[in-house]
Amino acid sequence: MVYFRDAATAFKSLNGLLCVYKPACVSIKQVQKTIKTNLCRDLNALPDRPLEQRVEIVGPTNEPMEVKLVPNYADHPLACGPRYINEDFRCSWGIHLGLFTSGVLLLGINDGTRLTYQLNTARITRAYKIHGQLGKATDTYFWNGRTMERTTFGHVTREKIDSVVAHMQAAHQKTMFELSGLHMESETMYELATQGPIRPANNKLPVIYGIKCVYFDPPNFTLEIQSVNEYEKYLWTLVHDLGVQLKTSAHCTGVQCIRQGKFNVDLALLRKHWQLEHIAVNMDRCREILEENEGLVRPKSAKLNL
Amino acid sequence: MALGYHIKHNVILYLYLRFSNQLRTYTYNSVSISNENKRIRNLTNQEDAIINSCVEDLSTVAPYFPKSFNLAAYTNGSETLQKLIKLNVDLSKIEKKPHVAEKLLQLDINSNMNGHILFLSDFVKMENMGIFITKNPMIFYQNIDDLKVRVNYLMSKRFSDEQIKYIIWKNPFWLMFSTVRIDRRLGYFQEKFKLTGEEIRNLASKKPSLITYNLKHVLCNLFIIKEEMGFQDHEMKHLIMNKPKLWMINDKALLQRFDYIHNVMNISHARILKEPEILLCRNFRIKQRHLFLQNRGRAQYDPLKENFIPLKALFEGTDTEFCKKYAKCNATDFNDFLKTL
Repeated sequence: MVYFRDAATAFKSLNGLLCVYKPACVSIKQVQKTIKTNLCRDLNALPDRPLEQRVEIVGPTNEPMEVKLVPNYADHPLACGPRYINEDFRCSWGIHLGLFTSGVLLLGINDGTRLTYQLNTARITRAYKIHGQLGKATDTYFWNGRTMERTTFGHVTREKIDSVVAHMQAAHQKTMFELSGLHMESETMYELATQGPIRPANNKLPVIYGIKCVYFDPPNFTLEIQSVNEYEKYLWTLVHDLGVQLKTSAHCTGVQCIRQGKFNVDLALLRKHWQLEHIAVNMDRCREILEENEGLVRPKSAKLNL
Repeated sequence: MALGYHIKHNVILYLYLRFSNQLRTYTYNSVSISNENKRIRNLTNQEDAIINSCVEDLSTVAPYFPKSFNLAAYTNGSETLQKLIKLNVDLSKIEKKPHVAEKLLQLDINSNMNGHILFLSDFVKMENMGIFITKNPMIFYQNIDDLKVRVNYLMSKRFSDEQIKYIIWKNPFWLMFSTVRIDRRLGYFQEKFKLTGEEIRNLASKKPSLITYNLKHVLCNLFIIKEEMGFQDHEMKHLIMNKPKLWMINDKALLQRFDYIHNVMNISHARILKEPEILLCRNFRIKQRHLFLQNRGRAQYDPLKENFIPLKALFEGTDTEFCKKYAKCNATDFNDFLKTL
């Protein structure tokens, strides 16, 4: 645990990356606001600097005047407001998670905002657990939508789901090479392809590197996906497409991000731990991870960062 | 250092610079002579005049208070504001409402405020006076005789001294309401919930802010509790006597909470009535504890069967206490579970 002597040193140390666990149905904006508010609350509770003094020259001007040092009331926290307010913090997210997605969320605080931008452009891989349910299709592809159709799913077996999922993964291999920005039949492309999976050059198309069914208990199933450039709605449609290819229907019941680059769920701070001490410890651990993995922020090659 | 603090100081600095500039332009303009030579000569004379010693006492000459974005700029020059700060009044909160801040600046501690503070000190403890004034600085614009009449009204309605003190301190806006309005409101609640005189007195002293709350919102929550949740009239009376806050919270959140407790967790109305606090707890807290208990096979809320978990386990105490006492596991197990949601 970190103990801070006063608020000013604590505020200066709050620069860097933070890894939090975003609950589902809470937007990123709200997470940012809660964290900022909690930080301000904890900083304002720490020992404050002494009140500023001000020089006053008083007395009649035609006689020797008196110079006094008096406390400056304009500096009093009751007059000029709390020392730290939400607007003092800059906060940005690394990879956007939708409203209904829960899981690992990387936030940059103050100078860490630069890091989140670099992480975003480095296109780090994300791993998701996607929970789905067979037998029902909805208009939004998610549980909150209107039911569009109901089907039987007795014929779906673990083998069938595995083969469809393997097929989906293979189909994405091509997109991966297309998004590298090189000519498909060139020597450079060949050399790049021999190194293993490659990062996309831009963020236009979602790329899936691995997809696997980790839990199957009809009608419920869970997929584990490693991908880049994906977004919430895209993951929902994956489940829907899976349902169609299995000759039944399916909708998504939950999306959970379990890993972003080297930052996994174990590191993430739960909502009840969004407090100054925990945040400071978490920032240190994130900094260590970034130092251990230099390629994470500014990668030198087109090879994929796992 | 806080950004807000910097801005505030820059404002003062800026105002000071502007003011000193004005002084300079003023001396320059006063030399209104057509002839250029004369003007230069006069200018030097003028400057000489500034350097010459002045025998008058100029300490009473002071500039006007310049315009400012906040009250902090005026605190050093105003005895009233300094006294208010010493009373623990949070000026930074008052200035969030500019029209109130403007009114506050027109007051003087000795002539306008002392009487009110003296009167209020009978009901509000001196250490709480700051909180009271922060919430309702407009109390100083009320006539003290009116305030006395309003307190007398409460006495005439047989509120005890303790109750009156509590009402006035807990709800700083109570004294702003005329006796006619307060009477009408007390009557409204008494009629709506079929309360006896003693009960309405208890309600008013338990939650004084409910009486002066937005009646439209109260009516909306009344509809939700009665029609959408389906509580009977006598059950509602029980609820308002125990948890009057239910009529003041957000209607959507209330309904969502009830929906989860009643329809997902299958808790009956009678059980909720016994522990109405559960309706005031945020939904995610109940949800995550319920899901955890379910995951461990302990979500058994029926007191007639074995391994019964009381409802208060879902909203009371810290997570560590909950894990130790009810879920019978370590806090880390609970945290790990939360990371799978």
